[in-house]
Amino acid sequence: MKWGTEQISVAKAREPVLDPLTAVRRLAGFFALLVALAFVTNVVIAHGLKQIRTSSFGAWNQVMQGKVNADVIITGSSRATYHYDPRVIQGGTGHTTFNLGRVGSQTDVQVAVLKAYLEHNKKPQLIVHNLDAFSLVTTSKVYEPAQYVPYLDDPELYQSMRQIDPEVIKSRYIPLYGYVVEDMNFTWILGVKALFGYSPKQNYFQGFFPRDKEWTDEFEKFKAGNPRGMSFAVEPEGIEALQELIQLCQRGGIRLIFVYSPEYSEMQSLTINRAEIFTRLRELAVANEVPLLDYSAWKYNGDREYFYNSQHLNAAGAALFSDDVAKRLKTYLASQSTTSEASPQQAESK
Amino acid sequence: MLFNSLEFAIFFPVVTGIFFLLSQRWRVHWLLMASCIFYMAFIPAYILILFVTILIDYFAGIYLERVRQEYRKPLLWMSILSTCAVLFIFKYFNFFTDSFVGLAGLFGWHLPRHVASIILPIGLSFHTFQSLSYVIEVYHGKQKAEHNLVVYATYVMFFPQLVAGPIERPQNLLHQFREWHEFNYTNVTDGLKRMAWGFFKKLVVADRLALYVNDVYSAPRNYTGLQLTIASVFFAYQIYCDFSGYSDIAIGAAQVLGFRLIENFKTPYYALSISEFWQRWHISLSTWFKDYLYIPLGGNRVSRSRHIINLLITFGLSGLWHGANWTYVVWGLLNGTYLVTGFLTKQWRDRFFAAIGLPERTAMRRAIMLATTFTLTTFAWILFRARSMGDAAYVFTHLASNWDLHRLATEQFYMRQFPVAVLSILVLEIGQRLDKTIRIPSIMGALPMPARWTLYAGFVMVVVMFGVYQQMQFIYFQF
Repeated sequence: MKWGTEQISVAKAREPVLDPLTAVRRLAGFFALLVALAFVTNVVIAHGLKQIRTSSFGAWNQVMQGKVNADVIITGSSRATYHYDPRVIQGGTGHTTFNLGRVGSQTDVQVAVLKAYLEHNKKPQLIVHNLDAFSLVTTSKVYEPAQYVPYLDDPELYQSMRQIDPEVIKSRYIPLYGYVVEDMNFTWILGVKALFGYSPKQNYFQGFFPRDKEWTDEFEKFKAGNPRGMSFAVEPEGIEALQELIQLCQRGGIRLIFVYSPEYSEMQSLTINRAEIFTRLRELAVANEVPLLDYSAWKYNGDREYFYNSQHLNAAGAALFSDDVAKRLKTYLASQSTTSEASPQQAESK
Repeated sequence: MLFNSLEFAIFFPVVTGIFFLLSQRWRVHWLLMASCIFYMAFIPAYILILFVTILIDYFAGIYLERVRQEYRKPLLWMSILSTCAVLFIFKYFNFFTDSFVGLAGLFGWHLPRHVASIILPIGLSFHTFQSLSYVIEVYHGKQKAEHNLVVYATYVMFFPQLVAGPIERPQNLLHQFREWHEFNYTNVTDGLKRMAWGFFKKLVVADRLALYVNDVYSAPRNYTGLQLTIASVFFAYQIYCDFSGYSDIAIGAAQVLGFRLIENFKTPYYALSISEFWQRWHISLSTWFKDYLYIPLGGNRVSRSRHIINLLITFGLSGLWHGANWTYVVWGLLNGTYLVTGFLTKQWRDRFFAAIGLPERTAMRRAIMLATTFTLTTFAWILFRARSMGDAAYVFTHLASNWDLHRLATEQFYMRQFPVAVLSILVLEIGQRLDKTIRIPSIMGALPMPARWTLYAGFVMVVVMFGVYQQMQFIYFQF
């Protein structure tokens, strides 16, 4: 498309030459229109996204709109989201349960999400925090940030997110920035569709996302790329984030339990500094009297029937695990005393 | 500074606003300062290299007019060699030493490899060629030497075309820095429209396709034949939209300021032959090589064998200009070979088409020619995009194998991105087609202002909402 010589002559013939002041006013008017359009579109998208009742957006909207108010809250990364079925835990313990796990998150983001939860919902009796090998790693870039953008006007969430990623200021104040610059998934289209009554598929159940998947080749690719295994960082800021989570619960009088949920056994041996990570996690648990349930030796950890990759259980595995964890939580909730550390085997022996 | 950055969104209106407020005396100084800031946004220290080139050719231009006739040619060569030496050191040193060591190894002479860690100054080949064009034109007496260093420096560094062209000729651009540029609403809006179209090409088409292309070409052995084919076709569109998008933004930005830059692209994929393609693709570089290399070598007014050699030399060097890698050289030579084959087989092809009832100018024959030209060009682009000759060979030999329809997506490019990518190519093609046939600006011009503004604002919103903003560099910056 060319707007070269011939177009200039066309345009010149079209309208009289404008004096500079009128021309500048007209240009400013057009750019003001664009800015206004961007603001309106931003508001429309945010409004639409907040209407969604299904998928991860639906779960997140429930949290931010104070509609959860559960007795037991599961926090953590994707391993929390995919592993803990609140319906099973609720059935087993008799306490309302909700899964607050965030896919692609590290502890710092999980703390920010938990703070937002506590601000908008009634205080839970128990928080089950799922641990990972990367629990002591900090976030370098917030994963799928567009999910948080509609709620960046929430001061608590905004401040927490800004501490993690100062760039979040752009998403907060530049219209559409969070939806088009920071997001590659066309999340804004979901918002527009929601205004017309179209919702994404319902795949989240009280925040739990069951993965109906069989074992994939991801782990084989990982092994090929990392034949000697890999290490996960132990960052002081990561430890601080986990301490902040503990203090948050202590200040609020909320009971906290750490769970290291199942991990494919071969992956455990490929995690070079696993012992170091566990030492740090145990130190934190013992020092703060937080019970730690370690599923590293779970009897199904070597069975690919129940995993779809080295880090994640599939739906069948999640059902087994949730059933097991529900039994332990029932005992724990019923007891007044806390155990500083218990493995599933120990719990079984009890 | 990237055109597709927040910094440029602030830089450009500020530079333009102040430019029109200044008197003629200070405008060129202002443009030079703005151009320095623009360039220094990449690697500040490299502006010194640019200054070296500027000073060499500035003084060469002046002395070419002053010295006696017999000293002019040596002076021209001195200037050319000094300017090219800068290019050689920063762009080709590692390539030539590496190639030499490799060649010596073939003869059993094992030399140690010394790789100098040199970062290529952005757009070096572009401003080197623009500088060379100036001294050559002064030598031929077609351009008067510029005595004002600020004006000359601004000619080389004019920010819209500084890092990726169009490679200007002094006759077109230099005098414009001495002219008064009135603030003209039509010029400004037409320039902005041109920029908007350029941003559409870059952000919506090129950068989205780049997600796919980068995944596949970074490890071609991990992908199926179908994915390799899609990536190769996508790359043909990516490189066109990336580079012509840059040219549109450059030409549009200059037009806003009242300057006219030369056209660099004329819908090259509508070419019916490789020869025509090169008259439509990167016109400022093609004409540079034609005027300063191909014609001085004798062009086509020599024996057929010499003509063939001239074409291959020109295209081989054009390939090398693009990058210090054998893939670029072979890419250039392949295009040269296409041209040679084209003119050697022309009579035979005409007879063949006549025999099957497809004389020239029939729609079917044009369609076949267009498709053939696009396919040959896309095939050549594989060499241009591949990281090594080995990768290129792998892509060539695996394009037709293992077409698994269930494996289309890549790591960065999910299935949901395909409709947007394909639709953006369609919009591009329809836009170009309509502009050729119905002249969109004429129709838009006839609309009342509210309708016009609605359409313009709608288009801008499409670019904003469907663009990819990973601040990907323009491909040609690396040259």
